[in-house]
Amino acid sequence: MNAPLLEVRGLTKTFKERRGWPIPTTVAVRALDRVSFDVGRGEALGIVGESGCGKSTVARACLRLITADAGSVRFDGVDVAAASAGALRAVRRRLQIVFQDPASALDPRQRIADALGESIRVHGIARGSDVTTAVLRLLDEVGLPPSAARRYPHEFSGGQRQRIGIARALALGPDLVFADEPVSALDVSVQAQILVLLDELRHRRELAFVFISHDLGVVRHFCQRVAVMYLGRIVEEGPVPAIFEEPLHPYTRLLKSSSPIPDPEQAVALGLQEGEPPSPVDPPSGCHFHPRCPFVMERCKASAPALEEVAPGRRVACYLFDETSRNGAGAVASPQ
Amino acid sequence: MSSAAAALTDRSPEPGAEAPSLVVERLTTSIRIDRQWFDAVRDVSFEVHPRETLALVGESGCGKSLTALSVMGLLPEGVGRISSGRIMVDGTDMTAASTAEAQAMRGDRIGMIFQEPMTSLNPVLQVGFQIAESLVEHRGMSRREARQRALALMELVRIPAAAQRLDAYAHQFSGGMRQRVMIAIALACSPKVLIADEPTTALDVTIQAQVLALLADLQRREGLAVLLITHNLGVVAAVADRVIVMYGGDVVESAPVKEFFARPTHPYSEALLAAMPRVDRSADALAPIPGQVPTLADLPAGCRFQSRCALRIAKCAELPPLIPLAAAPAHGVRCWVRAP
Repeated sequence: MNAPLLEVRGLTKTFKERRGWPIPTTVAVRALDRVSFDVGRGEALGIVGESGCGKSTVARACLRLITADAGSVRFDGVDVAAASAGALRAVRRRLQIVFQDPASALDPRQRIADALGESIRVHGIARGSDVTTAVLRLLDEVGLPPSAARRYPHEFSGGQRQRIGIARALALGPDLVFADEPVSALDVSVQAQILVLLDELRHRRELAFVFISHDLGVVRHFCQRVAVMYLGRIVEEGPVPAIFEEPLHPYTRLLKSSSPIPDPEQAVALGLQEGEPPSPVDPPSGCHFHPRCPFVMERCKASAPALEEVAPGRRVACYLFDETSRNGAGAVASPQ
Repeated sequence: MSSAAAALTDRSPEPGAEAPSLVVERLTTSIRIDRQWFDAVRDVSFEVHPRETLALVGESGCGKSLTALSVMGLLPEGVGRISSGRIMVDGTDMTAASTAEAQAMRGDRIGMIFQEPMTSLNPVLQVGFQIAESLVEHRGMSRREARQRALALMELVRIPAAAQRLDAYAHQFSGGMRQRVMIAIALACSPKVLIADEPTTALDVTIQAQVLALLADLQRREGLAVLLITHNLGVVAAVADRVIVMYGGDVVESAPVKEFFARPTHPYSEALLAAMPRVDRSADALAPIPGQVPTLADLPAGCRFQSRCALRIAKCAELPPLIPLAAAPAHGVRCWVRAP
């Protein structure tokens, strides 16, 4: 196998915030805790998890929109964290991001032609009338008519705006796109249109994706591999569909059983299991999931299990799958 | 306090068929855009019985929330109005009620919960006070009595350490706990009808499962008739008894929930299901619905889905009625092709 396109190792980020009134105190939120993963060329890696698990911070830290405290991000051999301004500029042409709400990412007073043309011009990809040609080609690629170029963002529906957001991410011919909840704000029928478009782009341009979402169905449909995050840590990682067919980590199992399925015969388990994700400000000791875990053991409270390979391509951070107690668990997926 | 919580829920279900708690008859609701009135909800009829959940499903702009606002009498004045039809809540005609009468019904016999609890809760009032408020208003309880009952309600919706959190503010609660507070407020006066407009859409899936389970449990105990507004067919499958699919203000399909998922018949219902990526199966290719929902001004005459429908025929220029299927008379479909 070739070297991965994106190699993230031990990425850690702690946010400090002043909170409280009348006497504010400084609280530390560990948004990322030694997060490591790879993304291959043309591969879509899904990152799933609930609010506050740090999945959006992953994208921002990889793009160096925020500075990580520790860890490394290598993109096609270039160390993004240590890159000089010039090298970073070159990396960013190939590393783009699509946001959940494209309306807030587009300048309301800028015509679409300018929104798309600006980066093409700034990065010197085309000049003069070639910029217009490039813009029209981009619009066509994302399924918008040429007339869209002359219009403003507010004239478009949510789905069309997301197409514009995607066109802008494509403008510089990237190799990898971070898509942060790109379809969450859209209606089901439009969501499917955007997913189909993204999948076409992945094949046609051999584009890799880090696809951040809270919706397991969408991730199962779009991604080849998935990493599940809980309070700043990756707790499970593996290929689709194995990870959904047989989730190993108790949190992944809970996520799956909570995801609604449009079939009353096998409707979602409406467990009254209490417990909410604890605050990332003051996460539980050991494995962060232990207060909600039905299989909790003493050692889970004392120390956090490492993310270990339990079957080819499958990594889990859970003592149930630890070497020493493996024979008891017996739920390890058979490699296929 | 657990005895107080038990007293709240001590209602034995009456056997046999009961009169519907909510009846909507041929409701048409119009909204005004640039001085012109458009029918955003057309000729919608349904009933919800005690302990029954009716789900209204559809995408943005299909009229599902507007139907709920009509039932509650909360249409914005001058912008929305009920053009025709009748809404009966627990035997009272809401459409004929005066403003004061409607006010007396809301929060008493109809409870409501919305998508984003933070925007519905008052950030500067303690949650215990907000739960007690309607008891003082509608039931004439003293502050002290109402506070006791608020505590019992917080225990009923399973807010941990309720006694300590009576005097907390909304921002001190997580999203799931805020929605529980909203449910406690909605249920304070033991309403007959609960309208839940996307109650779990803003919540994470594991919390969504908890809140839906709580709602189902409370519904059984309190004998509530629930009108659930949602865009999520997975949620419908989990909690609804009947489902109504809306498109462009029309009811396009209406069926008992098992029947619906076994035989989704309207081309729009079928397309919605085919467009939904599922966690339980490796998808065949997703089938997006082409185009987008037309704006109210651009809706075609006749069947409103025809502009996006693959099965369109000439007859679609005429609006089909909701036709009962021969095999299942409780299953109605508004389509000339599928239910001839």
